[in-house]
Amino acid sequence: MGQIVGGIGVSHAPSLARAYDEGKGEDPVWRDIFKSYEPAAEWLKALEPDALVVVYNDHVNQFFFDAYPTFALGVANTFAQADEGWGKRPLPDLQGDSDLGWHIARSLVADEFDPTICQEMVVDHGVYSILPFLMPPPWETPIVPLAVNVIQHPLPTAQRCFNIGAAIGRAVTSFRDARIVIIATGGMSHQLHGTDFGHLAPDWDNEFLDLLESEPEALCELNHLDYMQRGGAESVEVIMWLVMRGAMGSRVRNIHRAYFAPMLTGYGLVCFESA
Amino acid sequence: MPDELGGQMVQMTVFTGERSMAGYRLNKLSASLIDPANRANFLADEPAYCRRFDLTDAETKLVKNRDWTGMVEAGGNVYVFLKIAATVGSNLLEVGAEMRGETLTQFMATRPPQKRSK
Repeated sequence: MGQIVGGIGVSHAPSLARAYDEGKGEDPVWRDIFKSYEPAAEWLKALEPDALVVVYNDHVNQFFFDAYPTFALGVANTFAQADEGWGKRPLPDLQGDSDLGWHIARSLVADEFDPTICQEMVVDHGVYSILPFLMPPPWETPIVPLAVNVIQHPLPTAQRCFNIGAAIGRAVTSFRDARIVIIATGGMSHQLHGTDFGHLAPDWDNEFLDLLESEPEALCELNHLDYMQRGGAESVEVIMWLVMRGAMGSRVRNIHRAYFAPMLTGYGLVCFESA
Repeated sequence: MPDELGGQMVQMTVFTGERSMAGYRLNKLSASLIDPANRANFLADEPAYCRRFDLTDAETKLVKNRDWTGMVEAGGNVYVFLKIAATVGSNLLEVGAEMRGETLTQFMATRPPQKRSK
């Protein structure tokens, strides 16, 4: 029987990728942020996961609006890095786990969730901007990516995200003996268009982190406009963290938490174990 | 234009299906720039590249002027038109400052924003 041994919620952002590539670990703006990932990386390594399920959103690099899936599951043994317009970063492709991928696909569909199944999928900064901080390359742990539409409305509801997470939890339980960590990226507060560009909401972001741990049902009840009004239009993507939370079961123990908001995006981080 | 979300009209710009349809050509051009060969073609002859994607004259002008605010109004999605910014050597901070009606220096003076009142 498979087991979800840990869950991580973490922001993704192009700025994190740039800071990593430029080696900003000693820069005064970045030092504490870089350091905040270290306990998470050490904890993740000690968990000795066999695979990661990574929930993120594609920034119109794999999918275009001709056919933009609400949920898309990557089932393959390799996932290439996307070129988002700036060229690729000097990082390896991701290893996939097609056994786990097909198992999750079968289990989700039997459970009445219907993701698009992708045997080829380029993965963008939704994964690549944060993964090097959590797991230094080269990457030997394979991943199963799940892309969620948080860009083109109508978006899945927060409750739907939580529910598909719970279904992923059930899928892992019915898999063979394996230690799985689920990571959800995205958010937190940010607004990237219009005159409110740069809007940040640290108070709300921290309230979200509190509720995610202890009262996720309250977050499931919020609608998209609630999220957008509190954290900025693009911050609605933080609903993806509920996929992770849904997979973790009813109670979690917080292992590590950090939050910074220096520039455009609230950089949040939580590490949970099932309690 | 006000957008409808969850059955109500809202004051903020929401990338609705209707906006996505309105901005389809513009977004398709922008998204094509994930290919280095397309970036080279765009830079070599921008008007021809815009014609290839059937952009209207108004849309071509938005691209020419790097009018990010205008692109949002025309149905452009920020994640997608950022690829135009990337291709022409700009970045999200410069794009954002323009949308706020500020210079990059003015915008950076607002960061980090801890002291800002709510």
